[in-house]
Amino acid sequence: MIDASYQLILLCAFLGLVSIAITGLSQRLGAPSLLLFLLVGMLAGEDGPGGIHFDDVGTAFLVGNIALAIILLDGGMRTHVSSFRVGLKPALSLATLGVAITSGIVGLVAAWILDWPLLNGLLLGAIVGSTDAAAVFGLLHGAGLELKQRSGATLEIESGTNDPMAIFLTVSLLGLLGSTSSGNIGVALLLEFLQQMGFGGIAGLAGGWLLQKLLNWLHLPRVLYPLLAVSFGLCVFGLTNLAGGSGFLAIYLIGLLLGNRPVNYLRDIRWLLDGLAWLSQIGMFLLLGLLVTPSSLLDVALPALVIAAALMLVARPVAVFTCLLPFRLPLKEQVFISWVGLKGAVPIILALFPYLSGMEHSATYFQVTFFVVLLSLCFQGWTIAPLARRLQLDVPPLVEDREHLGVVIPGQVDRELLAYRIHAGSPADAYVLGRLPLPDSVKTVGVLRTDQVLQPRDDLRLAPEDILVLLTPSHESDQLAGLFATLPTRSHLVSSAFFGPFTLQPDVLFDDLCAAYGVAPDPDLEGLDLDAVLRRRVHAQPVVGDRLRVGNIELVVKQMAQGRILQVGLKLC
Amino acid sequence: MQTLTQILSPGRTICRAPGGSKKRLFETIARIISEDQLSLPYAEVFTQLIAREKLGSTGLGQGIAIPHCRIPNCSQPLGTLLSVDEPVDFDAPDNQPVDLLFVLLVPQEAHQEHLDILSHVAGLFSQTEFCQALRAAGDNQALYDIATGWKS
Repeated sequence: MIDASYQLILLCAFLGLVSIAITGLSQRLGAPSLLLFLLVGMLAGEDGPGGIHFDDVGTAFLVGNIALAIILLDGGMRTHVSSFRVGLKPALSLATLGVAITSGIVGLVAAWILDWPLLNGLLLGAIVGSTDAAAVFGLLHGAGLELKQRSGATLEIESGTNDPMAIFLTVSLLGLLGSTSSGNIGVALLLEFLQQMGFGGIAGLAGGWLLQKLLNWLHLPRVLYPLLAVSFGLCVFGLTNLAGGSGFLAIYLIGLLLGNRPVNYLRDIRWLLDGLAWLSQIGMFLLLGLLVTPSSLLDVALPALVIAAALMLVARPVAVFTCLLPFRLPLKEQVFISWVGLKGAVPIILALFPYLSGMEHSATYFQVTFFVVLLSLCFQGWTIAPLARRLQLDVPPLVEDREHLGVVIPGQVDRELLAYRIHAGSPADAYVLGRLPLPDSVKTVGVLRTDQVLQPRDDLRLAPEDILVLLTPSHESDQLAGLFATLPTRSHLVSSAFFGPFTLQPDVLFDDLCAAYGVAPDPDLEGLDLDAVLRRRVHAQPVVGDRLRVGNIELVVKQMAQGRILQVGLKLC
Repeated sequence: MQTLTQILSPGRTICRAPGGSKKRLFETIARIISEDQLSLPYAEVFTQLIAREKLGSTGLGQGIAIPHCRIPNCSQPLGTLLSVDEPVDFDAPDNQPVDLLFVLLVPQEAHQEHLDILSHVAGLFSQTEFCQALRAAGDNQALYDIATGWKS
């Protein structure tokens, strides 16, 4: 017994180590790391060299649920409310109606190819209906890509919010299959939907509010704040699920509130959650890889291929184009969002539901779903980054905020002290302090030079290796990064090639610009400024990276804040 | 592609010109060009360059600016190169003061060729090594030699 425990610990830790080592490989191959974790699990399993027999569906389900809850909490914290401006409505449309359409079409195809009753087919459709954000963004960041905000925000919010919908559809369809009553299915589903989302929504918002108050009121040892956040989130998750609401929606909302409100030790909480989310991904995929019997997948290969093809080539595109109809997204972005219906862990976890409720064909649900997820990770996962480049949906990544040291001032949740080292060759190098282009809300506290503390006088000239201490509002540090990074960074060079060498004011008249470069202006754009021209020709809500070609010059939206264009890049073609 | 040799002349290459303000700098530029090219009056050059500047600063960032405009009575693209003794506030996108300028005047008639030259010059001046070399030049002739002899 004692030996068995140590063996288990050794085994888990070893598989974890292999998975961590393999993430480096994932970036080099451009393959989704999730795919590699799954493969490690499969290799360790009964058909691979590992030979481990694992078929404990209950444990896999438990681990999967905890992992999903953590991943959603982390996902909520990463979602910036500012991205709601362009992404919220299309994302919610995709997350509700979109999931229903996708599941419906896949369900029809599944019922036909497997020769099942319609309801069973629809259940399979619901199981594979949701997309996985972590997979998408992991891949894009791994390839050094930053998506334009409109597509990025839409995908991010969609994948955060569509899991509750898929889970709801699955659980409801299971209930219908189990019950014998022949009442009105539509009404029953709608009521169930309202209950799940209503409870989930209320619990999430109330829980998030309460957690924020707790974090700011309580005096605890510093290490306990992140743990408080995680345990509180899981508490609400469990409670909501028990009460018949969607715990997944609740915990996502808690994360969302936490990440976008002033909270003590937010940075610490982010760090812990970041780590836990990785652990959850690794653990969950390893376990699911172990759970499956790869050789049994061959039995369902043909129907699974058909279902996967229907999902990727028909169902998802139809759902995306239908749901995005009112939002007039550029065609390229709709194509991209259609292709990026990447499947992750959620479908595999949902495929365990039929097992747990002891349905017939329960093995087939699991095998088909597993196969579809594998195919999706391979085909879609591998092609996302090249496709984003091809469709010109990438923008230069923001300058990485490295080497700043943040100190939270207890009791002052919306301000923090940041210390930046001045690097030789960075824009901040060789400025006199008074001319340093800092936002008004940022105050200079002092300059540390070797072992002296210098008063922040306006005529003090910064030198390399100085450390500049600033008092900033908590959200301002992103904008400061560019000032202190060493130039020219790769991203700076990319950005000059991307936005063009020159920068224009958005309130400049389009006619004046055309006159300056000898371009014939369109008559219907006469008298408009660049902001209005971009909004009319590209999208009513522009995002950074939107571009408009006029004759042989090109306008590129370069900087935005609060929905307004601040700078327009001018590119010469 | 024309190189700097074809659009620059030693008479329009000034090392360590007096800075002062952005307006003073454009006055200096207009004077240099109008004295070098008799067909281009001082007022015309000054007005056209300032008019382009109103659309947005021609500063590229990192102390570099490339003021440019189309101009009547100009038969071929004209370059003017200046380094400035004391960096001048130029409303550049990165807020850094400017100490190295390449002014490009092109004929009124629009040509793809002119945009290509502008693009080429912008690319050249985004190379840190090139700009460092120009900043290190001690007199007009050295500045001209470095600019025209540069192999990128």
